[in-house]
Amino acid sequence: MNESAPIRNIGDYVPMVDGPEKVSGRALYTADILEPGMLAGRIYRSPYAHAEILEVDTSKALALPGVKAVVTGADCDKTFGVLPISRSEHPIARERVRYRGEPVAAVAAIDDATAQKALGLITMKVRELPAYFTSKAALALDAVDLHEHKPGNLERDVFFELGDVEEAFSKADLVRQSTYNCAEVCQNQMEMHAAVAQYDAVRGRMTVHASTQVPYYVHLMLSQILDMEMSQIRVVKPYVGGGFGARTETLNIELISALLARKAGGTVRTVVSREETFITHRGRPETDITLKLGMTKTGRITGVECECHQRGGAHSGYGVVTILYAGSMLYAIYDLKNVKYIGKRVLTNTPPCGAFRGHGTVDVRFAFESLLDQMAGELGLDPVDVRRTNYLNAPTFTDNDLMINSYGLPECVDWVERESAWRERRGNLPKGKGLGMACSHYISGASKPVNWTGEPHATVKIKLDFDGSVVVLSGAAEIGQGSSTILVQSVAEVLGLDMSRIRIITGDSDVVPKDNGSYSSRVTFMVGNAAIDAAQNLKQVLVQAAARRLEARPEDIECLGEVYRAGTQDTGASFNEVVEEALKDTGTITVTGNYSTIPESHGGRKYRGSAIGGTMGYSYSAQVVEVTVDEETGVVTVDKVWVAHDCGKALNRLTVEGQVQGSVWMGMGQAMSEETGYHDGLLLTANMLDYRVPTIQDSPPIETGIVESNDPHGPFGAKEAGEGSLAGFLPALTNAIEDAIGVRFDDLPVTPDRVFAAIEKRERALARAAARKKSA
Amino acid sequence: MEALHDFELVRAATLDDVLKARAAHPQSALVGGGTDLMVNIRRGIVTPPVLIDVTQVGELQAVNADEGALEIGASVTLNTLAQDDAMRRHYPVVAEAAHAIAGPTQRNMGTVGGNLCLDTRCIFYNQSEWWRSANNHCLKTTGDTCHVAPKSHGVCFATYSGDLAPALLVLGAEVDIASPSGTRTIPLNDLYIGYARHDDAVEGDGKNFLSLEAGEIVTAVRAANTSGLTSAYDKIRIRRSIEYPVAGVAVALLRDGDALVDLRVAVTGTNPRPVLLEGTAELCGGPLNDDVLQGLDALARDQIMPMKTTFTPGHYRRRVASVLAQRLVTRLYAE
Amino acid sequence: MAQLLELTLNGRPRVDAVPDNMLLLDYLRESVGLTGTKTGCDGGECGACTVLIDDVPLLSCLTLAASVNGRRVDTVESLGENGELSAVQRGFHEKLGSQCGYCTPGFIMASVGLLRRNPAPSDDEIQEALGSNICRCTGYVKIIEAVKFAAQLNAEGTAP
Repeated sequence: MNESAPIRNIGDYVPMVDGPEKVSGRALYTADILEPGMLAGRIYRSPYAHAEILEVDTSKALALPGVKAVVTGADCDKTFGVLPISRSEHPIARERVRYRGEPVAAVAAIDDATAQKALGLITMKVRELPAYFTSKAALALDAVDLHEHKPGNLERDVFFELGDVEEAFSKADLVRQSTYNCAEVCQNQMEMHAAVAQYDAVRGRMTVHASTQVPYYVHLMLSQILDMEMSQIRVVKPYVGGGFGARTETLNIELISALLARKAGGTVRTVVSREETFITHRGRPETDITLKLGMTKTGRITGVECECHQRGGAHSGYGVVTILYAGSMLYAIYDLKNVKYIGKRVLTNTPPCGAFRGHGTVDVRFAFESLLDQMAGELGLDPVDVRRTNYLNAPTFTDNDLMINSYGLPECVDWVERESAWRERRGNLPKGKGLGMACSHYISGASKPVNWTGEPHATVKIKLDFDGSVVVLSGAAEIGQGSSTILVQSVAEVLGLDMSRIRIITGDSDVVPKDNGSYSSRVTFMVGNAAIDAAQNLKQVLVQAAARRLEARPEDIECLGEVYRAGTQDTGASFNEVVEEALKDTGTITVTGNYSTIPESHGGRKYRGSAIGGTMGYSYSAQVVEVTVDEETGVVTVDKVWVAHDCGKALNRLTVEGQVQGSVWMGMGQAMSEETGYHDGLLLTANMLDYRVPTIQDSPPIETGIVESNDPHGPFGAKEAGEGSLAGFLPALTNAIEDAIGVRFDDLPVTPDRVFAAIEKRERALARAAARKKSA
Repeated sequence: MEALHDFELVRAATLDDVLKARAAHPQSALVGGGTDLMVNIRRGIVTPPVLIDVTQVGELQAVNADEGALEIGASVTLNTLAQDDAMRRHYPVVAEAAHAIAGPTQRNMGTVGGNLCLDTRCIFYNQSEWWRSANNHCLKTTGDTCHVAPKSHGVCFATYSGDLAPALLVLGAEVDIASPSGTRTIPLNDLYIGYARHDDAVEGDGKNFLSLEAGEIVTAVRAANTSGLTSAYDKIRIRRSIEYPVAGVAVALLRDGDALVDLRVAVTGTNPRPVLLEGTAELCGGPLNDDVLQGLDALARDQIMPMKTTFTPGHYRRRVASVLAQRLVTRLYAE
Repeated sequence: MAQLLELTLNGRPRVDAVPDNMLLLDYLRESVGLTGTKTGCDGGECGACTVLIDDVPLLSCLTLAASVNGRRVDTVESLGENGELSAVQRGFHEKLGSQCGYCTPGFIMASVGLLRRNPAPSDDEIQEALGSNICRCTGYVKIIEAVKFAAQLNAEGTAP
């Protein structure tokens, strides 16, 4: 009799498998790659916001000793972009520049000082065009089009009405409309963008190391831009210092580095500045929202009308998807009928926006949860109860055909209500203190990938060899979110092995299977399921081998991880013995695991673009924020946050907590201090002093509850954990401020000067009212 | 990798080394912690041909504070000052101001001399070379327009943001100045020549904001104590760390029975100089009441002129400076 | 122009000729090859480059290499003994004070600096000491836990 049992790790607090490298300084990020003879790449950027390029003179730069290559728009007439339908961006501007900071030329030189000097020798001649820095200006009837194929500077116009909204409003007891403005925000991940491109002139091959979330998309775009066979390209993703969506598209830096490397016939490392990282942007667009809700006196929502304008910047990027998410994700959190949505994605002469964490959902959720709170107040209802009144009944499909199987929102709401002592404390806090709550949700991976190829959504390989080591091969981009850890955990769990037996290799296109990348919170769900599939396939091989070794039937073999046995009386065979047996016929074993979403999750066909929002599982989140408002100075302090997140099943409680806390906190930055500002299209806030990411001294304790709704399709029941809790913070904060001082903020961020101005306005209004009363 | 402009670094060990290097290189700049200068060098804002490292100069490292007076050497770091027990006991306004600067690591580096002589700041100035060039530069560098106020007729509006200056101004501090040709001591208030009121007929502005002559350096700051004077510093910032003041206020006051007998208020982060409010003496003589606070508010509104030099609106900086001043006065009076 | 730089780097004496205008950050990363110290901003705004100079946390991105002549410089690579992680490193690893890891060396060095002068800091003291370091992943909650755990390990003597 042996005492063996499969080892379990799912649901534990598991430190990250790549943690030791990060805390020791051994983890190599792109900028850490040092190669003798490597050239320094630098980018010459447009000082103009909108202009026709007449001439770019690089002759003096090229003549500077030490300069090895100069590239301009003339070196590449191809375009790139993440969406096959809108690839309108050149890696280096040709004919026209459309925002201040757009690349116009680039230099590779023997060192940074020479490269920098060479940039100073480049000149450009232009014919300036009118430039538009707001959605409104770009949409004006007489505005010049930024792109010929996008008349009126409309990147995308979305409209749908499901149900009868006018009818719904007529049946409501209360109808309210408000307008909201959310400033543009940036991911500002700690690692500045970097790429190292190595061109092997002898073989005509290109290797690019890129700080990216999407190595596969980088691979595709390198092939397109360089006009090279994909087979001649290798993309390596080293350690990546955060992404948050800034790196979910191929960036011009990666492409320009490759163009330089090919021209110079060598290796070029381009590490851009923080300012250039800001200018490369791909953040959340400035958004104007007009929202109208109808509500019965019991708090039931009867109808929704939402108009959303996004200032998208100079190129398409993910724009079409962002404006579609903003509409489709009105659904899938509450039981809504009668929804009308008008979305306008606008092209402007500002840096291109992208897919910032919570992609498309955040600003609309802010508006929705704000108006819900306001109307609850007017009706004398508790905001928590109003959310309860509108719960969905899962499993269900929404009116826009989104599939919902697991729905832990009620438990999230219950948790934050209880833990924050909402019932006892709200309304009973001292002057200047308040409590606010809000809910939010997010997808676990877009059910239809950006590039539809017919392949599975995710593929994982596992290699098992003579040494008994289990090596997971995955293209999933570990960017700090813990994807590698989840994959190792999943494989270990299925095989019943200790995680120390499992190794993982990611991020090298020569070695690992293709993966679409780390975005839309797809990795745990999709790649996790593929890893489980692969591990199960491996387990079958091992069970077959154990059956041979133990001369038993496969169906009688029990896998205990380190031991395989045939019945409880059997001492069995050790893992290594089983591996030895398994390898006899085939040699090294490689198994494949796949995952594909089911068609029911692909969204409907009720309006153009309605696939956007479709996913296999929605995460849910509720949070309560407690604030103190200093009414004399306008300074708002967040005292504490309680957040509960339904991630289906916490595969790793440590990383789930980390993701949820990070999301809440990032929402706090957007809500309270982060915003971009421009001076005639020049980014005023392209540094970490003026772009105010909260410091540790500004950051509150975040009590984190995990709700496990066990999604039927999720890996071990899991759904996403890394985005859904972001959006809720914004309205929970403004709802709390309203509770504290009776002033509602519909514009973000709520900086002290804005609070101060609002309080001044309130005081003036009170004084006027008092004066009127007196005179009457 | 950052390519800084070519310069020579002089590693000074003594004050004499510093002054000799100053004499030899009139265009040199002193570097202490580098938290101001090195940032500006990295952005190509200033390109001094010679840097003189003063961090190892023993003569500039003294901190002496007791009931009678304080004296602080120019190379004393801000954290040393913030944590000095005698300073905290006798001159809390100085320790509090030092502690409120930037963040802890910057305070391990930044020096008293550097903070007193902190370059004025502006969103059109504290930008990269590319940025400033794309914006046709500005008055404070090589341009001919102030982007804060294009009709400024040659006046630069860049804002003084040092936190120590107001704290030391309310103590009536003086600064010791040395040059290759000798030393002199002047009131700290005279170190700053930028205007307070918009229409002041003064020589300086945001560009020329210090009265130092070529070759001169600040070596120490000193102040005599006024018996019974209480003092405090407070500032508003959007974040609690890694920030320049949106507005900073130092207050010192003396109370005799119920009577306010001495009141000094200084403000930073609002004008091209630290502003020691004029007219506070007229508010003294009686108990602190709403009239006094309103009088203080009027002085602040009159003498504080924040322009659009920061991302935070000027109106707020002006109003909140007054709020802080009134709060500190009320608190100190009640102590 | 270049100067002779004699220093003790991670416990070892070292002599180099460095250009006058070279930042300590670039010296460490590009000349010596100690790439654990990170560049996160354009100067003094993020703390990713924090190193200890004579045990005091300083920003290597605003410090000239030649100016640390005669001094003791410690980077993240100096920590741990015999391949074991140090207490602070274990704290950041085991309590998830590090997600993407990019700010981590700076946070670790600021934390080491804190614990060397204050072995048992309160939450407030930790927040005070780490106020110059920006993390974009964690929301800082687990960073505070990491430092407290490290202080506990140090007190127990269970980590190098």
